[in-house]
Amino acid sequence: MIKINNVSMRFNLGVEKNNSLKNVFIRILSFKKRKKEEFWALKDVTFNIERGEVIGLIGSNGAGKSTLLKVVSGVMKPTKGSVKVNGVISPMIELGAGFDPELTARENIYLNGAILGYSKKFLNEKFDEIVEFSELKNFLDVPVKNFSSGMTAKLAFSIATVVDPEILIVDEILSVGDIKFQEKSKNKMLSMITGGTTVLYVSHSLDSIKELCTKVVWLDHGQVVKIGDPKTICDEYYEKLMGKKNEK
Amino acid sequence: MIKSMFLNLKKYSFLMSQLILKDFKVKYKRSVLGILWSLLYPVLMMSVMALVFTNMFRFRMEGVNYLVYLITGLVIWNYFNEATQLGMGSIISSFPLINKVYIPKYILPLSKCLFVGINFLLSLIPLMLIVLFTGNVAEGTKCYINIYYLIIPFIVLCAFMFTLGVSYILSCFAVFLRDTIYIYGIMLTIWQYFTPLFYSIEILPGWLQKIFVLNPLYIYINSIREIILFSRMPSIPYLIMCFLSGAVVLLLGLIIFKKNQDKFIYYA
Repeated sequence: MIKINNVSMRFNLGVEKNNSLKNVFIRILSFKKRKKEEFWALKDVTFNIERGEVIGLIGSNGAGKSTLLKVVSGVMKPTKGSVKVNGVISPMIELGAGFDPELTARENIYLNGAILGYSKKFLNEKFDEIVEFSELKNFLDVPVKNFSSGMTAKLAFSIATVVDPEILIVDEILSVGDIKFQEKSKNKMLSMITGGTTVLYVSHSLDSIKELCTKVVWLDHGQVVKIGDPKTICDEYYEKLMGKKNEK
Repeated sequence: MIKSMFLNLKKYSFLMSQLILKDFKVKYKRSVLGILWSLLYPVLMMSVMALVFTNMFRFRMEGVNYLVYLITGLVIWNYFNEATQLGMGSIISSFPLINKVYIPKYILPLSKCLFVGINFLLSLIPLMLIVLFTGNVAEGTKCYINIYYLIIPFIVLCAFMFTLGVSYILSCFAVFLRDTIYIYGIMLTIWQYFTPLFYSIEILPGWLQKIFVLNPLYIYINSIREIILFSRMPSIPYLIMCFLSGAVVLLLGLIIFKKNQDKFIYYA
């Protein structure tokens, strides 16, 4: 379903400072080759995901989890290596990407749906379902800028999960909304998973990883440390992290 | 490459329409007259121009309806001006989006050029009304609706391709070098004075006229003026130049854009 082959991702940390005209001139005049501060967010990551698998990605902050998700979903092209994906991806990396605060909830459902690649027909059919799930029926014609962050997140989650995607990419979004909605969104996720969707899931909550995933990939500094059974890997990971803390 | 783009275009046409719709909604949100401004604005602008140039400065041209001369030029120029500026910033302003979700980036400058294009088409309505009501105010002018109007869509299409190509190139440059936005602003001002909008190219020395012919915008404006003002068929070499300038610049823009689009994300 997804083949990740020797994927490496390089960022130039110095890039930000260098794209003003002054710096470009200085660089040209001084004949110096731009010194690049390189940072490899991913190094030689290789693994395959089969249909129906639920893969959990764990690792500390900056380990490259989100970068990997972005590479798989096509937002970024890998510097080296390749990613092959067979199937329709529904990325839930950051909810509400492309919400326009000036537009109403109703308008944003269409806009955000279009961004996520839904067709007009599909959105017309599913409109009520989205509204129903989001619990925002009374706020449909209110501009999203007047929404609370919880309401925005609920709306975004409802739009993103209305599809039955073949591949679902989830970056720590289960903690959306109030407790009731959290429970509801978790059930929705579970029903998607049991429906045979292939899932790539990032979370810092080891409990939810153990509960949901069939396989775990442990990343550290952009490299795969271990792949395997959720319980054993999670326990090992936990020990390693907490062990480190104890040494301090 | 081009073929796959066209296939994609069909797939993403809904997204494009949503993006264009969004631009309209956001632009007129909170204004009482709303979308009516798209029509009202050009009408009022044209009225101001008409007052200033025909009553204050008293520009005249023999055998020419000067008001129509001025407005045909301005309508094309304004389209180019606005569309390229919006197109140039389209990638930068969409970074929050393309950082998170995959969407084909080439539709961003395209949707801006189409958005301004719709406004352009609306501004043709007042232009046509002016032609109808003031067409032959002076003796000897030949300003009326005629068979050659059928060529206008072709010229507009060429101008659109040129504008889109320039937008693609600029949007790339602007990502890597934000200064492009200011530099281009200055360049537009220079470009505007070097495009015969208020004056006739004939007042210039011969050698300068030859250089002016290299300006694609002059070619488009001149061809359209031939039709609207003189009821003449634009010369065939001009029409060929219209097409070539549009097609070549668009192709160049697409190639530059395609080559660089994967690097955009590092400059967010």
